[in-house]
Amino acid sequence: MHHPLRSTLWGAAVAFVGTGVAAQEAPSVIAVNYPLAYFAERLAGDAMDVNFPVPAGVDPSFWRPSISDISTVQGADLVLLNGAGFATWIDRVSLSRSRLVNTSRGIEDQFIVTESITHSHGDGGEHSHEGLATYTWLNPTLASAQAEVIAGMMSARGLAPEADVDAALTVLKGDLEALHQEVATALSAVVGVPMIATHPRYEYLADRYDLTITSLEWDAGAAPTEEELAQLSDLMAETDAQVLIWEAEPPAEGAAATEALGLANVVFEPMAHAPSDGDFLSAFSSAAAALADAAGDLPAN
Amino acid sequence: MNALYLAFAYLRYHWARSLVLVLVAALIMFVPVATQTLLSSSERALVARGEATPLLLGSRGSQLDLTMAALYFGEERPDPVPMREVETVWDSGLGVPIPVHTAFSSSGFRIVGTTIDYFDFRQLTVSDGRGLSLLGDAVIGAKVAEALGKGAGDALVSSPENLFDLDGVYPLEMPIVGVLEQTNTPDDEAIFVDIKTAWVIQGIGHGHEDVVTATEVANGTAALANAAVVQYQRITSENIESFHFHGSQDDFPTSAVIVVPNDTRSATILKGRYLDAEGPTQLIEPAGVIQSLVDRIFRIKALLDVVTGIIAVAAFAAIGLAVFLSYRLRAREIATAVKLGARRGMVLRLLSSETVTLLLIAGGIAAVGAAIVSQNAEAWTGWLLTLGA
Repeated sequence: MHHPLRSTLWGAAVAFVGTGVAAQEAPSVIAVNYPLAYFAERLAGDAMDVNFPVPAGVDPSFWRPSISDISTVQGADLVLLNGAGFATWIDRVSLSRSRLVNTSRGIEDQFIVTESITHSHGDGGEHSHEGLATYTWLNPTLASAQAEVIAGMMSARGLAPEADVDAALTVLKGDLEALHQEVATALSAVVGVPMIATHPRYEYLADRYDLTITSLEWDAGAAPTEEELAQLSDLMAETDAQVLIWEAEPPAEGAAATEALGLANVVFEPMAHAPSDGDFLSAFSSAAAALADAAGDLPAN
Repeated sequence: MNALYLAFAYLRYHWARSLVLVLVAALIMFVPVATQTLLSSSERALVARGEATPLLLGSRGSQLDLTMAALYFGEERPDPVPMREVETVWDSGLGVPIPVHTAFSSSGFRIVGTTIDYFDFRQLTVSDGRGLSLLGDAVIGAKVAEALGKGAGDALVSSPENLFDLDGVYPLEMPIVGVLEQTNTPDDEAIFVDIKTAWVIQGIGHGHEDVVTATEVANGTAALANAAVVQYQRITSENIESFHFHGSQDDFPTSAVIVVPNDTRSATILKGRYLDAEGPTQLIEPAGVIQSLVDRIFRIKALLDVVTGIIAVAAFAAIGLAVFLSYRLRAREIATAVKLGARRGMVLRLLSSETVTLLLIAGGIAAVGAAIVSQNAEAWTGWLLTLGA
């Protein structure tokens, strides 16, 4: 026989528990760049709240978080780091080690060393700062390894159901492999074709697909100065390059000036931020196709 | 009832003598109880710090030095362990490692470089200001704030490691961004910084003016830069971007690593991995080290108990003698009472009422004192222990 008071209490208890579960916030993930946020979203689905806190227009590598931003990052359940020297702000803020995930741990042997700066101070004698290329995700194979680390950590910390994460990882790795095959096919026609990039972003792309890319240090989105154009002209003469890779849509006068030098302009967004159109896979694929088209249309080809 | 009334009237009339007897009896009862309470509390406080720290990883050597440096932030300097040991524990997935770097001090208080996991682990909360956020930030314990008269918004300067090391370890000015809630533990006496800040003090990380510019790098002339440059001794919002570290973080030092295992099984597996007596590191249970130390220290407690007992017997004998002598002095008074018709039982009731009243009042005072000590034992013990540090 059911006691009405007992039924009421059970009803209230169930309602209370239900409210509690609904009110419970999903674990939060902070990523230091868009690709890691994309991988995390693909792996966690709705089980986690994934955020990429760097404002648009700010280079995520050199972001200076405010105290409030740091507080948000400190409160996250997982902080996804890229490694390879990307996001140097990490070295200057206090974060819980138990929540940090270095997604490139395990692929350090594939890092690309860029430049070396030597100096001395104090009694330490001379020492060198070894530079590393940081945009590891432009090699889909390395990106796949990073996604695997993220999935492993999500499961290990119990932040998302392991079976779901494993299933999502299998699909994501399949997508990244398909992307690699597609990009490799597209870029196979331009292997050995000299190209110039307005910024050093494409080391891993060049390394993976045997591209020949020489880099400048132009400001993203700004029209080149006379001095920079002269420098570009010299570099063209030195490398025989006829393709110029921009990381963002160039200003009209900038594009016109480089076209006047005889260069084909191509935009290949390195995707530290979300691409202007599509997602990581589609934007990467489109950019590779555009690069192949631009290089393929050259008179010499 | 009449006997009690007369006894109380007598004690009130001879108030000075009664007061002395009450105070002496109260002290005799209070001192052993208070001593026992404080000693037990001290023992608990000492052991509690050890028991609250499941495992401690450090360089092979004195376990006591390692424990004192990592748990009590003492003057001991165990050989540093490389941070790769922290990563090894992480990679094992068996526990959470928390590095503790205690090599430096400021204004007589130890600078503890750690990660913010330490604050969660010790359940430390900020009472004023905020927690650690940026490189160079310092959060101070409650006793440090009180002793130095400093709080959020002030600054501290790290002391050089030694007078002859002015060139190697630069004093670093650190802004105080927060003060911790008092915990009556050694954390009250510490200055907490991010472990990266401790590495900056050590000279592993530093900031200085740009040696090369981006254009120089682009031109390929960067590698030619080779200049002796002046390091910053204060981390500000203007120069923080220039701070960087040399070498692999795996090689950077820490004094010890607190290891919080996932469970008993994980602790057993971890301990098994550091059993090699020839290995450079050891994994110890601080509770065992502290208990062993406390056992030695508290052997003196047995001696103290004997001394207290002897003094109590002597004091009670003195009180008994004083009471007996007062009865002798009151012989004529008692004789008068008998002549007035008081029976022997009445006289005995009168005298025993006086003694019982005295002892009850003394017992009451001793009980109140013991209750106050018991209530504040934790705070007073914490104060006494940190006084020693």
